[in-house]
Amino acid sequence: MALTDHLTEPSIETLNGTNKATSNISVPNSIEIKDVTVSFKTKKGVYTAIKEISLDVKKGEIVSLIGHSGCGKSTLMNTISGMVSPTTGTVMANDNIVKGPGPDRGIVFQNYSLLPWLTVYKNIYEAVDSVLHSKTTTEKKEIVTNALAMVNLLPHKDKLPGQLSGGMKQRVAIARAFAISPQILLLDEPFGALDALTKGSMHIELLKLWNLDNRNKTIVMVTHDIEEAIFLSDRVVVMNNGPAATIKEIVDIPLERPRNKKDIVHDPKYMEIHDKLLGLLFDKFSINDIH
Amino acid sequence: MKKIFTLDTLYTILSFFASIFILIAIWEIVARATDRQIPGPASTWIVFKELIAEPFYDRGPNDKGIGNQLLSSIGRVFTGFGIGSLIAIPMGLLMGSSKAMMRLFNPIVQILRPVSPLAWFPLGLLAFQAAEGATVFIIAITSLWPTLINTSFGVATIPSDHKNVGKAFGFSKWKYVSKIMIPFALPHIITGLRLSIGVAWLVIVAGEMLSGGVGIGFFVWDSWNGLSLEKILIAILIIGTVGLILDKIFNAIQHVFAWENK
Repeated sequence: MALTDHLTEPSIETLNGTNKATSNISVPNSIEIKDVTVSFKTKKGVYTAIKEISLDVKKGEIVSLIGHSGCGKSTLMNTISGMVSPTTGTVMANDNIVKGPGPDRGIVFQNYSLLPWLTVYKNIYEAVDSVLHSKTTTEKKEIVTNALAMVNLLPHKDKLPGQLSGGMKQRVAIARAFAISPQILLLDEPFGALDALTKGSMHIELLKLWNLDNRNKTIVMVTHDIEEAIFLSDRVVVMNNGPAATIKEIVDIPLERPRNKKDIVHDPKYMEIHDKLLGLLFDKFSINDIH
Repeated sequence: MKKIFTLDTLYTILSFFASIFILIAIWEIVARATDRQIPGPASTWIVFKELIAEPFYDRGPNDKGIGNQLLSSIGRVFTGFGIGSLIAIPMGLLMGSSKAMMRLFNPIVQILRPVSPLAWFPLGLLAFQAAEGATVFIIAITSLWPTLINTSFGVATIPSDHKNVGKAFGFSKWKYVSKIMIPFALPHIITGLRLSIGVAWLVIVAGEMLSGGVGIGFFVWDSWNGLSLEKILIAILIIGTVGLILDKIFNAIQHVFAWENK
């Protein structure tokens, strides 16, 4: 697939023939994080990763968490997935308090986390089988086949993950997360291990899947790539450096969708946001001031 | 396509024959040095030809062909090894998946593991009231440790990436065990089984020397009583060859299940 053919995020209109109101005012919250602190017990004592963080994410919104390595952005996201329990505070997802991982929240891990002894097809099937256990085998198989078709991996369905490139593995992981049709999709540095070209086409693929679903899925993504965060997100959450990391600033990305990777960089608004984020991430004095 | 016969395989075959030649040469030197008290390769070969001319004859309980002896030994080894593995694999899975179980059972494993098979024999006799049962018992109890330890190690080292898949997609206990735990631990389990079958084969001779009956160990003891050193040497070579074949079989199984290399 040539990158140049896919510079533009496909619009809802072209994919579904419907239009969704873009106003966020009446849209309910999908995720509500209230005063969340996460501390770990270590040999050297208690380590506080994130401190008193509050954040609401609306349904259908794409939010990126950005910050330096070790700033606790993954920890924050793991409180939503339920992999990490907050020491204090609460996390609500789809109007339920998060007590552990659940099928309403699909996760795409940084290192793909495919099971190497299962074929591509089986990797997705086992997840679907586990989450949608009330469906018949025929229905489950259809879901898996559709998920694989969405990411153009049907010809590779019988391969083992070890036979795939990094980009293909990540597409399998994304297909797996989409296959269980979760309300919320959590992506932990999903494209961090990919080369720039693959990354670019993966961005478009992700937005395509999001649009195919009428932009109903809420997506929270951890990244340290400013361009990626701007291109994909509605809002970018910039975090302070840890320990005891907090939210430094939330930057709105008012760029119209569908976005085009090539055109967007010439947009004055894009450049303004880019500069702002760069300043927020690399101005060390202001970080020290806040502590 | 892979070439079946390369220069490398030729060297391997040549080296194998050279290796056999060295063994025979040392053997001949030892035979000459001991003034043929220990028989040399040539006289052993004559006895060997007699033995394998009719390997499956059966003239009463104390006079059976070498093939019969070998088959009954192999049968006993696989019975003991099978019973041992049926205990070792589930125990290993349990110990590997729970720290509490590991703490609870590891001291027992460490105490029982180094015990010689011969020390178990009287207990086996007491428990089973028969030499046959006792032999199988000592094979089982001495060969299960490598499998147990390797299985528990395999399970204990499942990477958190794999565990997270189970958590994130809400795998049931059974799905976790069958799709994540066992497939990950399988190469370790097979390595354990390979070591265990080696131990089992090592134990069989000692066991049968004590128990009597039919078997390669009894054959060795019977040959000593009949003062046929040639037969003892033949038995040693056969025991070694069978051990090598068993190891090769498990090595092949190991390659079949190594998902890492695919």
